[in-house]
This record gives sequence, C-alpha cells and structure tokens, in this order.
Amino acid sequence: MTSSSRADALARIRPTDREGPEAHASPMKITVESKSGILDYQCEAGENLLYAGLAAGLGLPYECATGTCGTCRARVMSGEAELAWDKAPGLAYVKRDKGEVLLCQAHARSDCTVRVPAKIGPPSRHFATPAKSAGVVSKVARLTHDVIHFEVALDAPMAYDAGQFVVVSTPAVTGGRAYSMVNYAPGGRQLDFVVKRKPSGGFSEWLFSNAVEGTRLDLFGPLGRATFHPDEGRNPVCIAGGSGIAGMLAIASRACQEGYFSSHRGHVFFGVRTLADCFYMEEFSRLVSQSGGNLEVTVALSHEEATSEVHRDFRQIRLASGFVHEVAAKSMAGRFENAVGFVAGPPPMVDGALRMLIMEARLPAQFIRYDKFG
Amino acid sequence: MSWIRVCSTADVPANSIKRFEVAGGIQLLIVNYGDGFRALPPVCPHMEEPLEVSGLVAGCMLTCTKHLWSWDLRTLAIQGETEKPLRPYDSKVENGDVLAFVDKEIVYEFDSEDDMDDDDFFK
Repeated sequence: MTSSSRADALARIRPTDREGPEAHASPMKITVESKSGILDYQCEAGENLLYAGLAAGLGLPYECATGTCGTCRARVMSGEAELAWDKAPGLAYVKRDKGEVLLCQAHARSDCTVRVPAKIGPPSRHFATPAKSAGVVSKVARLTHDVIHFEVALDAPMAYDAGQFVVVSTPAVTGGRAYSMVNYAPGGRQLDFVVKRKPSGGFSEWLFSNAVEGTRLDLFGPLGRATFHPDEGRNPVCIAGGSGIAGMLAIASRACQEGYFSSHRGHVFFGVRTLADCFYMEEFSRLVSQSGGNLEVTVALSHEEATSEVHRDFRQIRLASGFVHEVAAKSMAGRFENAVGFVAGPPPMVDGALRMLIMEARLPAQFIRYDKFG
Repeated sequence: MSWIRVCSTADVPANSIKRFEVAGGIQLLIVNYGDGFRALPPVCPHMEEPLEVSGLVAGCMLTCTKHLWSWDLRTLAIQGETEKPLRPYDSKVENGDVLAFVDKEIVYEFDSEDDMDDDDFFK
C-alpha cells in the first residue's frame, strides 16, 4: 500500500461525528469481496453492517456480534464507513491504518466495498436467518442478589435454536448486549433471559436500578452456532458458569420437549460460587423428572464446601465442590463417548472447560461448541 | 541455513508444545504428538494466538482453544471448520535430538504480506 492510499484509508474510517448517520437517506449498496467471491447486499443509513449482511442471508463471519472478539474484521476498500463504538476491544484485531473495521461496529455513510478475509458460505440450513425485531420487557424477577431474569414479549414470533442468542439494545444504554435465550419456545412470542449484575455493566445496571417492565427493546437475532440438534444423536454435556447456564437450560428443555432423553443421556454442570448463587433449580428439577433419569444436573460450588450430595431443597440436583470443569471431568470420567460439549461462562472457566474437553474427554473440535464473547 | 538442532526429544514430553529460539532469532515450536514431532511457527495461522499457550495436543490433534481450529499432526489434515493449513518446518529426530530445516522463517500471511492486500487476496 502506498502512503497516499493509506491516508485515504484513514479518512474512510471516522468515528461517529456530528452529521450523524441520517446524512444518507436511501439504501446503500455494500459489496463484499470474500475468499469465495463477490457478493452484495443493501444497507440502510445507520444500520449495522454485520446485521444488515446477516439479515440479507450472507454467511458473514462473526462470533460475539458486539465488538469484542474481532471475528468480523473487514477492510473498507472504497466508500465511507464509521465506527459506532470507537473503543470496542475487538478493534485490537484490526489494522485501522489500513482502513479495517469490525463489521458489527460499522455503519456505512455511502455505498461501500469491503473485504472480508474468509469464505462466505450460503446461509446455513441449520439456522433461522437473523432479523431485526422488537418487544416489551414483560417481567423482571430477581433470582439471587446479583442475577436477574427478564422476559420479553416479542411483537412477532421468532424461530431459533436452543443455544442461540440475540443482541438486545435500548436507547437508555449505549450499545447492544448479547444474551442467550433461556427458554426454548421457537416460533413463540416470548424470550427469557438471565443477566448477572456487573460493576459498571451498563445494561445490567439499567435492569437492576430501574423499573424496566413495559420498556421497549430492540433485538437482533437469532445468532450463534453453539446449538443443540437432536438429529446429531450425541449426548449433550453442558458446562456453564453463572449466567452462562442460560443456553444450557434451553438445550435441556429442547431435549426434554422432544423426548431425546428416552434414548440419550444428558449432563449439565452448573458452576457457581456458593449454594446461594444458584438459580433455575426448579426448572432443572422439572427437566430431570421428565427425563426419566437420563438427565443429570450437578451444581459445582467453587467457594463453599458441598455439605451433602444433593441440593437441600431440590433433591434431584446433585452438589459437588470445586471448579465446574474439574467437577465435570471427575463425574464424567469414562463416560464421554458420543458426547457433544457445550461451554459458556466467564473466560477462565471457558478456558478450563475447553482444555478438559480436549485433553481429557478427547472430544474432536467439531463436537465442542461455545460462542466466543471474549 | 540448513538442519538445525532445536532441542532434545526429552525436552518436549508427549502431548506438549514448547517454544524455542534458534539461530537468527527465529522462534519456533516443537510439538510432541506422541507418534512424532512437528516444528511449527509460533502462532496459530488464524488470528496469531501464541500456540504454546492456546494450543493443546491430544490424540495426535493440535487444537487452538481460541476458536477451536484443529489439525491432525500426522497428516497435517485440517479438521472441522478450520480454514487454513499449518505450515511446518521439515523436521526429524536423530540421536535423541529434534532437528528442523530452517531455510528462512516461515511467516503466516497476516504477518508480512497482509492477507487483505491486493495481490494475494483471492488466492
């Protein structure tokens, strides 16, 4: 690249400025140069480039869809795009001096040509095409001192797979947040989510500090490929920490709804600090009952000794002490055959669980599923 | 340059990865996959993760835990959704030492030639 074209590239990525995205009213054409050829789609002014492409059916690469992972890296070859969140951690993966952006943080200001360093497949037959949707917060319930469950009544039904997530946003909080669906009711009008309160976490603070029932939310989804499909015929082994349990409850629910545990086994390992930190125990107890004994749910306490082998109030839930991936390794030793692993939670827990599934369970990479939010 | 002694076979236990620096300051990894050794550039060809940290070896498979890209170290066949091949240095074991043929440093395309620069993009 010559120095003049580099300067040109610099000019093309500008942080959001005073003109705002409304400067360009009619739809823009986004041309995508990929390793598998040239494709294009239409995008409205101010619309997220990743979401518009996914909604148009392009299999653009992404993982977190919220600015962290860097997977949706692209280079603006011509035209103008601006970044919504100039401090997105995922920008560490892009070469900004060469005009690179994260598609999940970019808006077009004109027709654009972008280069994506990946193969772009056709839309997957496995997954519903994601789309913009909206709904109203219909219920908020506090589950523990720092965990909230909330439900959204959608304007229109949404199809999704167990294990998928949506990006939720509200004008009250800058940026979108990715939350996995807790319930499995595809084609229904209600989505359930669970959120852990984080210090200075904009969305969780908003949920915890305000009466948000009745508030309208914008959603984009469904997203994510860490999904459970009964036709694979494998035994799900779910390892989750904290609010990472969301997708696991959806997976266990789907399996129960479809009678999967009449012929397969399932295991859920739920890591929390202390007994007071676990939640969804009623829901999991009900699923264990429905499974005829083929679903095992174990709560792993990392900061408290388990004083009995089962939960004192929910006798069908097992208890153990230790980090959740260690508890899972011990409990599952010799039983990983035909397993498919699902992992979600804080980064150190995810790392420990992945290592365990690769090194001890010897699961091939294609049978380990997690969505990278870090 | 030619065949270089990188380490002793005993320096890298089965199913582990160690990083070494050889002449010219070139960093490379020696991977013991149980049935043999591979000499590799020090990063994952996907997003430059340092493989001695992010890589795991089990059952002759090397897996980068960052995005679960994976390769069979016996055949170098790519596994699952992995999109790029590994580019190993030729290597061999002689008299208890692991040797690598280091003609010049092997660098995945994102390093020197940017993979989105014009000439090689559609290859």
